[in-house]
Amino acid sequence: MSKAHAFDPVDLELFNNRLAAVSEEMGAVLRQAGFSPNIKERCDFSCAVFDGQGEMVTHAAHIPVHLGSTPLSVRAAIKAVPMADGDIVILNDPYAGGTHLPDVTLVAPVFLPGVDRAYAYLADRAHHADIGGASPGSMSLTTEIYQEGFRLPPVHLCRQGEAVRETRELFLANTRVAEERLGDLDAQVAALRAGAARMQELAERFGPDHLAAAMAELQAYSRRLIGSFIRELPRGSWSAQDCLDDDGWGSGPVTIAVRMERRGSRLDVDFEGSARQVTGPLNANLAVTTSAVFYVIACLAGRSVPPNSGMMEPVHIHAPAGSVVNCSFPAAVAGGNVETSQRIVDVLLKALAPALPDRVPAASCGTMTNVALGGYDAARGRHFSYYETVGGGAGAGPRGAGASAVQTHMTNTLNTPVEILESYYPLRVVHYRVRRGSGGKGEHRGGDGIDRELEITAPADVSLLAERRDFGPYGLGGAESGRRGRDSIVRAGKQRRIDAKSRVRLEPGDRLRVETPGGGGWSAPPPGVPRRS
Amino acid sequence: MPPRRTRKLRVGVDTGGTFTDVVYVDGSERGTFKLLSTPDDPARAVLAALSELFGERSPERLTYGTTVATNAVLERAGARTALVTTRGFEDVVEIGRQSRPDLYDLEPQRPAPLVERKLRLGLDERVLFDGSTARRPSQASLRRLAADLLKHRAASIAVCLLHAHTNPEHERLVASALAHLGVPVTLSHELSPQPGEYERTSTTIANAYVRPAVSGHLESLATRSRAKRFLVMQSNGGAIGVETARAEPIRTMLSGPAGGVAAAWNVARAAGFERIITFDMGGTSTDVALVDAAVPRRADTLIAGLPVRSPCIDIHTVGAGGGSLARLDAGGSLKVGPESASADPGPACYGSGTEPTVTDANVVLGRLRPEAFLGGGMRLDVERAAAALAKLAREMNTGTAAAAEGVVRVVEGTMERAIRVITVERGQDPRTCALVAFGGAAALHACGLAAGLGIPDVVIPADPGLLSAWGVLEGPIVRDRECAASLVDPDAADLARLAAPLELAAKNDVAGEGIPGRVIRTARYLRLRYLGQSLELEVPLARTYRGDFDRAHERLFHTSAPQRPVEVCGLRVTASGSVASPRHGGARARSRRHAAAEPEATSAQAYLAGRPTAVPLLERARLEPGHRFDGPAIVTEYSSTALVAPGWAARVDDHHNLLLTRCGRDGSGRRTA
Repeated sequence: MSKAHAFDPVDLELFNNRLAAVSEEMGAVLRQAGFSPNIKERCDFSCAVFDGQGEMVTHAAHIPVHLGSTPLSVRAAIKAVPMADGDIVILNDPYAGGTHLPDVTLVAPVFLPGVDRAYAYLADRAHHADIGGASPGSMSLTTEIYQEGFRLPPVHLCRQGEAVRETRELFLANTRVAEERLGDLDAQVAALRAGAARMQELAERFGPDHLAAAMAELQAYSRRLIGSFIRELPRGSWSAQDCLDDDGWGSGPVTIAVRMERRGSRLDVDFEGSARQVTGPLNANLAVTTSAVFYVIACLAGRSVPPNSGMMEPVHIHAPAGSVVNCSFPAAVAGGNVETSQRIVDVLLKALAPALPDRVPAASCGTMTNVALGGYDAARGRHFSYYETVGGGAGAGPRGAGASAVQTHMTNTLNTPVEILESYYPLRVVHYRVRRGSGGKGEHRGGDGIDRELEITAPADVSLLAERRDFGPYGLGGAESGRRGRDSIVRAGKQRRIDAKSRVRLEPGDRLRVETPGGGGWSAPPPGVPRRS
Repeated sequence: MPPRRTRKLRVGVDTGGTFTDVVYVDGSERGTFKLLSTPDDPARAVLAALSELFGERSPERLTYGTTVATNAVLERAGARTALVTTRGFEDVVEIGRQSRPDLYDLEPQRPAPLVERKLRLGLDERVLFDGSTARRPSQASLRRLAADLLKHRAASIAVCLLHAHTNPEHERLVASALAHLGVPVTLSHELSPQPGEYERTSTTIANAYVRPAVSGHLESLATRSRAKRFLVMQSNGGAIGVETARAEPIRTMLSGPAGGVAAAWNVARAAGFERIITFDMGGTSTDVALVDAAVPRRADTLIAGLPVRSPCIDIHTVGAGGGSLARLDAGGSLKVGPESASADPGPACYGSGTEPTVTDANVVLGRLRPEAFLGGGMRLDVERAAAALAKLAREMNTGTAAAAEGVVRVVEGTMERAIRVITVERGQDPRTCALVAFGGAAALHACGLAAGLGIPDVVIPADPGLLSAWGVLEGPIVRDRECAASLVDPDAADLARLAAPLELAAKNDVAGEGIPGRVIRTARYLRLRYLGQSLELEVPLARTYRGDFDRAHERLFHTSAPQRPVEVCGLRVTASGSVASPRHGGARARSRRHAAAEPEATSAQAYLAGRPTAVPLLERARLEPGHRFDGPAIVTEYSSTALVAPGWAARVDDHHNLLLTRCGRDGSGRRTA
């Protein structure tokens, strides 16, 4: 770096602030302009700024699972299509920069007058409540990507500021609630425009070269912070494994294994020993696995690390190709993003617990308990598609008991309020309670899960995708596990259990009850385990 | 000017954690008084001040800004409160929105509900989203409910049933079934007729929780103050009658900062500004707000992490102030705040702390004068401040002054970002606003902040430390009335018919506080969204509401959909009226009109732009209307110090405000007056 662009501690902090403000402002626009409850109420989206090489600079995340995966989307977009000023590229293909199909990512270059190459890139990603496929909500029990919905490799959504009609029409023709999709898509476009305007202001105020240098320096800063965290770890290597219940097609337990080793300022994370990819939709691609590692590092290193590409440089991930943590085409992936990612976090934390006994909690509920349902609502004269995740218990930790009824780890979406839900959809909530006693006992007690029952008032297809129904969230230091989740249908007063991964047809008056897992308990580690000073 | 009558005494009281501020207007005379608060019984300090100032005389009108309600929540010292809710939804307040406040906290912490589980009672009843009744509560279940509440010894009761904002009948049934208990009952549909069961329940509970304490306190103080009319400041920047405040204390939750914004707006308007950014920088946090022709409102806020829906001034707070600690992090970036030296140990220059703060940086830079701090009443330890900064400077590999200047730039960067949130993120341009700086630390940073944002004008009001109390005294009486609706593309005339009863009710509320009907003004607003959208925008109710909404949407969100139907989700009517009040500072101004153009100044050394510079030092108390001077200059007064940076021209207006105008990039600036 030339001396002219040297950054002292003051400039560094000022640019950290300024660039983070760009992605946050994009998020504010997206949320405000969005249409669906999934965007406005649940905040299931993220926005990020990238430099001219496509390296991530800042990321305003509501959802950690987007963290490590957005850079891969931008890289894929840059590689696949040339982008001119005013262009926007859309994609969701898990095999070309996406995570799972409902997460639709838009990428736009930022140009400066008189310069013919992109100066920066912006991206935003939003979870759309439906992306076509076999069932409403696009979160079904599939066996290959083709069944999961409409797949978009990187293609133009806008060219030089004008919408590409063909792309829009194709997209809308392939989702169930096109009107809502259009509103959310427009909000994503609006957020990119706001971000581009802000980046141009910054370039004018500080000069493009200085701003480019600041974007590089911010990555170097994150690299230094993560490096210093890694050097704080004791020497050695740590291994752990845990498993997913089942892939929904009778696979039985699906192992996820990890071995972590500190080498100087570098951390190796090796998933060798994890199961081969499975038939059902629980496969995680490398983007999702990277996000899970990214999340754990961000939590342990402290929240002030700007999430960007520099942060991941000291961390080397090895995930065997064709495994459940780095699946190959055309494996089904709908649940990799939401379920497998949670288990990867569980395994990483379990491995690190002996190294950082005063920072690592027991397992949290370990599932997002995805409920997707849809059909035709005759009373309102429209199709509907509803998607929600249900929180659970957080694992207890060294600081105290785990929180109850909360979204943990890889998601932090808000619930849809009962009063909003019932106004929008042919649904009635029967009860919505804390599932008392479901947290694992220990010196500190795990948080309790949720018990929620929905009554359907129009015929509906329901897809359930949930985990930790066979193997409860582990406790630490000899404490008890959290209680496993369970799911049932209540029809004509009779309750019957259903599989955690299932698709059922419900008639008016039928009820779906989900009880989510509690968090694991925590007890002080037995003597002899190394403690950090 | 109203006709001159017998001298009327009007008093404004603002109780804070440390000081109780009293300001008054007595005929054409104005005065101020500051004394230590008495947190165990806030009334004691108020009554002591009244007795000291006025003896046996009764104020005509006393407006009171209180933190009793807020403190009861913060300290969890409210009444034993029970919740009555729809059976099956007793845990809604515990589940919240299922989210955790900090994404990267492996052990997420959420505030516990104000009502414990066993005091949350479910009633077997159900109203549906369209207001229809699925299940009516039986008389037997209501009787049982009353018995249970009696058994639990509830001292205050919150009632929040699902969809009660659409059909309140069941809440009313509950209220009449509980009337004989003789315990205050708060009904959600009266307090906050909006959808969203978690936020509405939380609001209703918070109100019930603080109600007994606030009600008793206000009743007693109103009587003992012997004020003919006793008013209470609300979070929306206006006052309200004591009876309403006793029943709905939730309305007073953020009255302190609201008084500051309201007063800043009064001052700025009198000085000729129509768009301002208020900048209130204290020891640990800073409040900013944008006022564009009207004080901005928001419908909800968080108190100690709990959502409260009550109209309040839209204030954005950041955790940085004079006491914020500076440190170099492991990645080599200079961090300032959110950790604060608070009152103990305080900034290093106060004598016991060792870590550098923003205040210490200002001392080291010579901008905060040790001899003038609190009128010389508190000596600042310059050497201690320098030692704290020197330690930081060594880590930063730079000089002490450079490190101090860095601390100031970083904290101003944090403020700049806060102001961008309330302007740029909402489609507003800060360069078209004036910055009004008050609170202990703001005037030192106003020029730096304004320069970074391209703001051309800075206003530093007279008595910046007592501004909130003036806002309390001068605030109009304001009452909001609202209702929920669900109408697609309605006719403006139909909306006007819907608004009429709200308008009448709001007007009556204000008239009931002794405001003559002819001076009561009302404003009507719609909450709108595109059909199918889930958040709302507020626009005035007018024939052109449709186009106004599209334009507001375009401005805020860079997109609009004029072809889409819109849904009206609610109406709000605000009625307000003031008794005529002399403008802030006016009385003093009249007596001293002709002052010399150049004030007297001594000189001091201060660091500006990295260099020690001889800077004129002025005393605010000696500045007279008409005085003019150019930056650099430092202006000291009892509760605050102002830095007029190079490139800024200052003048004192008729109301004793200090008006700064940016006129160049450096000290050679020409004057624009």
